[in-house]
Amino acid sequence: MNPRRWLIALFVLAIGLMPLSALAHKESDAYVTLRTDVKNDHLMHGQWDIALRDLDYAIGVDTNHDGAITWGEVRARRAAIEDYALTRMTVRGDGLTCDMQPTDQRIDEHTDGAYVVILFDAVCDKNIPSKLTIDYRLMYDLDPYHRGIVTIHAGDKIAGAVLGPSSPVASLNLREPDRWGEFKSFVTDGIWHIWTGIDHILFLLSLLLPAVLIMRRTDKRGGGLRAYAAIAESTGTLMALSPGASRYRWEPVASFWPACVDVIKIVSAFSLSHSITLSLAVLGYVHVPSRLVESGIALSVMLAAMNNVYPLINKRVWLIAFAFGFIHGLGFASALSGLQLPAGAMAASLGGFSVGVEIGQEAIVLAFLPLAYLLRKTRFYQVTLLRWVSMLIILIAAGWFVQRAFDILIPGFSALLPA
Amino acid sequence: MNDQHEGRSTEARRGASRGVLHLFLMSWLMLPLALAAQTDRATPYTPANDAVVLQLVPPTTDPRVRQFDQLRNDFNAHPHDATKAVRLAQAYIDYGRATGDARYLGRAMAVIEPFMASSTPPVPVMLVHATIQQSRHFFQASREELTQVLKRDPTNVQALLTLATVAMVQGDHDLANRLCVDLTNEAGNFMGMICSASLRGLSGESAQAYALLSYVQDPGPKAPSAINAWIQGLLADTAARMGRADLADAHFKKALQWTPGDNFLLADYGEFLIDQNRARDAINLVGNDTQSDTSFLVRVTAEKVLALPKAKADIAEMNARFQSMDQRGDHVFLREEASYLLHVEHDPKTALALAQQNWKEQRAPKDVRVYLEAALVANDATAAKPALDFIDRTHLADVTIDPLVVQLKAMASKDSTAALSAPVTSAPDSTRRSPR
Repeated sequence: MNPRRWLIALFVLAIGLMPLSALAHKESDAYVTLRTDVKNDHLMHGQWDIALRDLDYAIGVDTNHDGAITWGEVRARRAAIEDYALTRMTVRGDGLTCDMQPTDQRIDEHTDGAYVVILFDAVCDKNIPSKLTIDYRLMYDLDPYHRGIVTIHAGDKIAGAVLGPSSPVASLNLREPDRWGEFKSFVTDGIWHIWTGIDHILFLLSLLLPAVLIMRRTDKRGGGLRAYAAIAESTGTLMALSPGASRYRWEPVASFWPACVDVIKIVSAFSLSHSITLSLAVLGYVHVPSRLVESGIALSVMLAAMNNVYPLINKRVWLIAFAFGFIHGLGFASALSGLQLPAGAMAASLGGFSVGVEIGQEAIVLAFLPLAYLLRKTRFYQVTLLRWVSMLIILIAAGWFVQRAFDILIPGFSALLPA
Repeated sequence: MNDQHEGRSTEARRGASRGVLHLFLMSWLMLPLALAAQTDRATPYTPANDAVVLQLVPPTTDPRVRQFDQLRNDFNAHPHDATKAVRLAQAYIDYGRATGDARYLGRAMAVIEPFMASSTPPVPVMLVHATIQQSRHFFQASREELTQVLKRDPTNVQALLTLATVAMVQGDHDLANRLCVDLTNEAGNFMGMICSASLRGLSGESAQAYALLSYVQDPGPKAPSAINAWIQGLLADTAARMGRADLADAHFKKALQWTPGDNFLLADYGEFLIDQNRARDAINLVGNDTQSDTSFLVRVTAEKVLALPKAKADIAEMNARFQSMDQRGDHVFLREEASYLLHVEHDPKTALALAQQNWKEQRAPKDVRVYLEAALVANDATAAKPALDFIDRTHLADVTIDPLVVQLKAMASKDSTAALSAPVTSAPDSTRRSPR
């Protein structure tokens, strides 16, 4: 038999027995673990385990070629190893870029031998978004069967992917498994927005103050003016200066229930209208410049308070709530967009925020209504609160309006009231 | 890449004997390290000092390493030369086969992949590509590529043999038979005889197969030792299939004399020894090579049979190895894992599911065996039907398989009698690996 035949036979041998049993070692794997930092939202701590055998093949670690890689040889090649690995993986997301900074070098034993452990920090230029894209290129030109097993721990959530030369990129949702948690966090945001947004509180209070009272007109000059007032009431025209309109007095409501119904009407109308504009704005259908929105809110507070001093509308206060609710909704929307909405979690965030706003609002109402009902007969309530506090609110709101609409800073005003 | 190895060969040759001594000493140094690793895997550590040996890699004292370093440099100098690429890739495949290190298949693939971008890659490149696919148990892909090669070059001996091997693994004996005939016409009696002997061994004609192989068993003084080892290995498998344990044992020993330490022979012989109730010999055979998964599997199985105290820790280690294979998602160890689950972990249900999944890709006698064993222990004769039909069709006969067939057929007829009174529920096919 000639040598060429033997060569052929040898090559066949190389495969002949193979199907009978699998290869003795698994193929090349590396393990990447990223953990978000507890305090710093720009930071992730990384660990990258790479087989010494792979690194030796890629950049040479067994420097004296004696077939045994020592810790000394690994230490001597630390910079080269880090440079080789860390330039072959990027972490991206929502315009985020992260700088990979090695922090330490260790060794770990895996099932198929010793691995170098590269400890590193991924220092990012902004908050880590809910979705990260990993681009993994280690060994891509040296071994198409290499796999990078990537795991990201974001708090107690874990996301993972197996990457390799044929599929080097994966997008991982860090928060997807917890839509409920996301929803809850937006509920909290909504509550706090109402409670810390003093302009919303003052608007609501201004509308609620007269709910436990009934306005009785004291002039007996006939139905002409009454009809006039009714028209004014339904059209919402400012009638503060109309003659005779100031002839009235407040009387406490006889029972709790009518007051309660009144409050429910006001709050529901406000909720309905602000939910509409909030949704439209967040979903991108409506855009109103922030300056207009903020001055509009100030104006709404001013008018709501003024209605207590020069009452034009008493029976249908919910109309004011409904009308101005639209502009408050736009204000909520701008607050929400400032909270870094995770893309794809729009429903959870929008719904959660609306629910939070409602809860915050109901809490104010629940605290207000019983107290107001108890105090409704007192002079303190009827005069001090209703008149003078309303006056104060008008003053404050006027200050806001001037600041917001004309972009003028009133000295001392902001220190007094930050909103 | 491996440029660092350049210009070191003279120094390496000088230190060759010293290197061997080093290796010997290091295998002792590595032992406590490996033990420590088993107890504390999860925590990365800092080695005590610079002299600690962490990992053994192929040394330049190994002539095969020097050979592929040279081929690598040659290829780097001519990166567009397909011939040089094929030579380097073949050297990697050879080395991977001998050591059982699957990483070398990937390295070979990386070398030839750029040449596969063309719509008609050179035939030698396609052959290497198909070989790698086959070695990674992507038999169908390999088969399609080899068919393409034979369309372009119908007398290509290498393609004929490789495709015949694939056809036998897939259980397509008609195709294998045609290819063996073609092979005899193209490459002469030697290759043709080995081809048809292998096929007869799978078709219930082991006696003829053994006779044919005995006829070619001395290929002459010029034959490389790997050829001799291969034929001895085939003889051993055939003798074992006939139930001639004494003959099989002798052939395994001869094969290992030709290629000492060959990873596939060790696994094959080790499994045979366990079958022969010689678990202690199996442990001695694989020795301290704990890095090889196949050798380690033989060790763990034998330890379990002997109920050695070490078995517990080694089973945990083996489980960890299977887990890290699972993590990749494309591992080719299904048959071995099925067998392990059945005999070591005693989980017939998962073992059967894996054996069924494995059956879709490969149908060699050992695949048939684990499938039937799993079905039998899982008490599910219905699930075994594809394998039983396969045996009827191919007339496969093997002393380790024949009794299983009898038992399963008895069970099936009992089931069908019982089925008249109670409906038989078939096993769910979707049972994937259970967490271990």
